[in-house]
Amino acid sequence: MTTPNPRVPNPFLGASSLSRRQLIKRAGVLGAAGLSLPAFLAACGGSSDDDASSGTSATGSSPGTAAASGSSPGGGGGDSLYFENWPAYIDPTEDGLTGTVDRFVAATGIDMKYTEAYNDNNEYFAKIQPVLGNGDTIDPDIIAPTSWLTGRLIQLGWLDKLPLDLIPNAANLRPDLVKPTWDPTGEYSLPWQTGFGGIAYNLDVTGRELTSADDLFDPEFKGKIGMLLEMRDTMGIIMLSLGIDISTLTDFATAEPAFAKLEQAKNDGQIRRFTGNDYMNDLSTGNFAACVGWSGDVVQLARDNPAVKFIIPEQGGTAWADAMVLPKGAVNRDAAAKWMDFVYDPVQAAQITAWVQYISPVAGVQEEVAKLDPDLAENPLLFPDEETIARTHIFANLSEEVEAEYDAAFSAITGA
Amino acid sequence: MTATIETEPGTPRARSSGTGRTSWWQRHPQRIGLGSLILSGVLLIAVGTGLLDGPLAIAALFVVLVAIVALIMVAVMGGLETRRALAPYGLLNPGMLWLALFYLAPLFTLLRNSLSTLPSRFAIDAKFDWNFGNYADAFTDFQDQFIRAFLYAGIATVLTIAIGYPLAYVIAFRGGKYRNFLIGLVIIPFFTSYLIRTIAWQSMLADQGAVTSFLRTIHVTGFLDTIGIMDGDKLLNTPAAVIGGLTYNFLPFMILPIYVSLEKIDVHLVEAAKDLYSTSVSAFRKIVFPLSLPGVFAGTLLTFIPASGDFVNQLYLGNPNTTMIGNSIQDQFLVQNNVPLASAMSFVLMAIITVFVLIYSRFFGTDDLV
Repeated sequence: MTTPNPRVPNPFLGASSLSRRQLIKRAGVLGAAGLSLPAFLAACGGSSDDDASSGTSATGSSPGTAAASGSSPGGGGGDSLYFENWPAYIDPTEDGLTGTVDRFVAATGIDMKYTEAYNDNNEYFAKIQPVLGNGDTIDPDIIAPTSWLTGRLIQLGWLDKLPLDLIPNAANLRPDLVKPTWDPTGEYSLPWQTGFGGIAYNLDVTGRELTSADDLFDPEFKGKIGMLLEMRDTMGIIMLSLGIDISTLTDFATAEPAFAKLEQAKNDGQIRRFTGNDYMNDLSTGNFAACVGWSGDVVQLARDNPAVKFIIPEQGGTAWADAMVLPKGAVNRDAAAKWMDFVYDPVQAAQITAWVQYISPVAGVQEEVAKLDPDLAENPLLFPDEETIARTHIFANLSEEVEAEYDAAFSAITGA
Repeated sequence: MTATIETEPGTPRARSSGTGRTSWWQRHPQRIGLGSLILSGVLLIAVGTGLLDGPLAIAALFVVLVAIVALIMVAVMGGLETRRALAPYGLLNPGMLWLALFYLAPLFTLLRNSLSTLPSRFAIDAKFDWNFGNYADAFTDFQDQFIRAFLYAGIATVLTIAIGYPLAYVIAFRGGKYRNFLIGLVIIPFFTSYLIRTIAWQSMLADQGAVTSFLRTIHVTGFLDTIGIMDGDKLLNTPAAVIGGLTYNFLPFMILPIYVSLEKIDVHLVEAAKDLYSTSVSAFRKIVFPLSLPGVFAGTLLTFIPASGDFVNQLYLGNPNTTMIGNSIQDQFLVQNNVPLASAMSFVLMAIITVFVLIYSRFFGTDDLV
């Protein structure tokens, strides 16, 4: 047979007339491109710090969380840092002010990744439980769970001890937060911020000032009330309005009337939605007339929408703390220590407080904030006076069995 | 295997062996094929569910490889007749093995989980102990969610038929040269993700959003409140919003099968009917509609089954009183980490849907799906 000429169509090949030589050549080119593509993508990828919150809270994965990874891409430990935090919990770089993350990067040269995908404690715990329970590591080096979850993680042994010798500024911790009940040795956590849970409302929608938790059950606001999925804040406020002391709870029977009241309200259609940290949008757009919320969030919202207000109910509100912890196996321990040292400097802490408007865990912040904004230094929500402290209560530590009863009752009303 | 026809030994089948003698594997190639398929499938399921692990799993995978290679060798070494007999098994192999490893193995794992108990609240692995209590809990604790899921999915399916059938009819019979373009328009919303489409409805139906403000301006909110579509003056976070979201998201799944079955109807049949003094309506009722039923049947399955397990629409458009079974299963799996209960709920949902579909197909009595 003569050598096939690629330009003469082969009658047996039909219209395509692709010869074997051409096919192998094209396949080779495609294969080479395919093999080199990952290399190009990796080179172009580089570092990216995105602080966009996921928003797809309950539907599954959000960027960069709970992936079983043996080693971080930074390599060697100390050159990069990954902090996964709650939304609206740090001052950003805007309006001519440099945010804390950028100031930290400029001061230390550490490549820091900060995301705001932590929407709810239970939801985040459920994400990390399969990974940490199997002994693998999660991506973030620092997370900031609320105190009760920190206590649970310590008991499960899923946290690394903080390198406190590398954090000299830890001495600035407020005396009332040293060695708290959820971290008796004080070696596993350093509080990020503390705050109050109370009632947030939109004055334009309610038409009047609210004063007590009973306003949440006012039929006038039927279908426009939001409640948090955070059991201790929602049930805490309801229990306080029924006269139950939440700081001395030991069993489920004491709390039953509060659960019954919440269930009744839900069945009546009083509650529009149970939310994580995503109540802020509904509150400012007016979908919620009032909701259970956290103090600093609302003060931040009020900057853009003065109709949004926050009160601690007259029967009492809840006090809580979020704590920075190192999940077990976190790679960038030194960088994490530098970060904690940085934010525990009263000057830096004051800048964070001035924006997030939560209560700083660092002593000596009030004087620094007075230099930035004298009015803020007198705000009782940021620097609580005796009267405010008397009206807020910390939820009691529950044993594992009792906590399971509370969670089961709460999720029967909210999640399922 | 009992249905295959086997020729007697001695017939000239093993052409390539050359000696005229036929060996066992050349006389019964079907047994080789079926045996290889079943053996590989069972071993893959065992490896996938974790019954075999470590060195046993490696040995099992080796046996699977040997079985596949043996099948190929028998096909190569046998003659044309052998290859013809083995062709169905060879073609089935990739699909069946894929299904075995990635569908049946997880299904069996789920089944085993549903009969297990968690040793402690935050334990990772559940212990298998024939715990049928999970099924009892699934039935009793989540009745409301099951009923609501099937109710909303049913209403959404009926609405998709009501909206989709006329649209498919117009495109099929009156579309002319714009048919493909119009069907393309139906599919274009699918280019965005399911989640984005649902969140878009959230901002569309917001209290101060376009739709609700318009309804308020034309003063129909009171009427809509009475018939239960709106709740006060809210359109978002109501059952109607959830059903609307379900209808919108599953509409193309209904339109496309109906369109396909309508398009295959010969227009001359309608003309013939008219020649026999039939009116247009009668022609539709007696000719077009019965011929399009397979498409409606397929569309109903494609809409009702996913809609009853859906949780996204309720999450963004619903309120705590409209939770569907999909939300409960997702909550148990991802927030409560109660895998045994969640697995039991999944199986109960599958069983109920299967019963519904069997009753439905018996009632419709359709032989072909398209």
